[in-house]
Amino acid sequence: MPHDTLFAEVTDPANRANPYPLYARLREKPVSRQSDGSYVVSTHAAIRSLIFDPRLSSEDLPPSQRPPTGNPFKDWIVNPIKNRVVNAHRPLIFRDPPDHDTLRGIVIEQFTIPRVRGVHREVEGIVGDLIDKVRGRSEICLVEDFSYPLPVMVICRLLGVPEEDEEQFQKWATVLATALEPDSRGDEKQRHATATAFDAISDYMRGLIREKRKNPADDMLSGLANPESGKPAMGDVDLIASAILLLVAGHETTVNLITNGMLTLIRHPQELERLREDPERAPRLIEELLRYEPPVHFRTRKALGDIDIAGITIPAGASIVLLFAAGNRDPARFTDPDRFDPDREDNQHFGFGGGLHYCLGAPLARIETEIALNALVRRLVAPRLLEDPPPYRPGASLRGPEKLGIGIERIA
Amino acid sequence: MTEPRKEPGAGPLRVVVDLNRCQGYAQCCYAAPEHFELRGHEVLFYDPTPPAGKQAEIARAVQACPVRAISFDMGSVS
Repeated sequence: MPHDTLFAEVTDPANRANPYPLYARLREKPVSRQSDGSYVVSTHAAIRSLIFDPRLSSEDLPPSQRPPTGNPFKDWIVNPIKNRVVNAHRPLIFRDPPDHDTLRGIVIEQFTIPRVRGVHREVEGIVGDLIDKVRGRSEICLVEDFSYPLPVMVICRLLGVPEEDEEQFQKWATVLATALEPDSRGDEKQRHATATAFDAISDYMRGLIREKRKNPADDMLSGLANPESGKPAMGDVDLIASAILLLVAGHETTVNLITNGMLTLIRHPQELERLREDPERAPRLIEELLRYEPPVHFRTRKALGDIDIAGITIPAGASIVLLFAAGNRDPARFTDPDRFDPDREDNQHFGFGGGLHYCLGAPLARIETEIALNALVRRLVAPRLLEDPPPYRPGASLRGPEKLGIGIERIA
Repeated sequence: MTEPRKEPGAGPLRVVVDLNRCQGYAQCCYAAPEHFELRGHEVLFYDPTPPAGKQAEIARAVQACPVRAISFDMGSVS
């Protein structure tokens, strides 16, 4: 298969369970032009150099577009205005400096160290409850029973979003997350669906923010909605976009890290046993997991100017795919990269991306995953995979199992 | 170098941050807030000799650093 169609193979769901041989082929050329005109960056060195390059823009989403309603007032006046407002106030993951830096700074102010570390006890409580709930069963679905609800409950509590409304925004979150999948985002139907979901979740957030202004609580949304005087603040449209981003990220990423973690541990029983014996191995094991089976496989950018790299010129305007998961398996950077080795030294992975857009939620994901994996290996007795490989969710970027059936002897 | 030695009870830990490598990702500050602090956007302050008994926290900071700028060892300095 020629190099210029390899990325189409990566996005093909048939290759979801094991994209790594394709990544190895892609790395033969550090930057390869694909037949659709995009450029895939797949070696560790090339990704690292581009991730700090200011000529790469994150503002690469196609313009927001609302579906026709048949009501001329909406179609000719209201929706075009909405499209313009939404396009100008994208969430910070799709923004460049200086706006990105301002917005990120304001969000980070709320992502305080005591608040993030304060979730420890809460995560332990949720983890314990979720495992208690499956007591008596001999088979569980890790995604449904555990790794999906955990991060969702945590982000809801941190943000101050009522958990009872979860069912409502679960569907919106799934639709919005597909905006990270480049193969679907240009499609008109997908753009309509994204805009519709965005409007629905925006209305919900607008109501919640109003409530947080009336009755502020000790949560991130209250903090963002009621800035201290003299401190930088954001307008309501950016505030809503930021809240949606955090909520969606809480729904669609950590779930993969925890599920991939248990999948990898069951596939490496010795490592599972070692973690059970020594919970202090978790931090290092999680970093290796972020290298070996990262929850986000790639992100896209746009070239703002011509970029010469690895003997090729990426022309201005071209779409660039930073294939983090391929850089993570680069034999030029990591010894024996296809081996899961939690004792690995110098593990400089791209599991949380890198540069300006480095995952804001990384500390939270680490805490949740550490508590989750330690509890799972301790309490699931004799876990075995009911199906290997498991079925995967559609996303090639946000990649993880849709279901993970695990058979157990009992719950300890 | 980043592997903590396990024998407990030795003197204080020794921490070194390669400030040329540090990119201000602040992951160490979340992992071990008593020993790492980012002032402003770029300046990292850290405790080069945290007390013994803090090795789990420091090890988390070492592991969490995206550019592997932190090294530490149990201080067995006489």
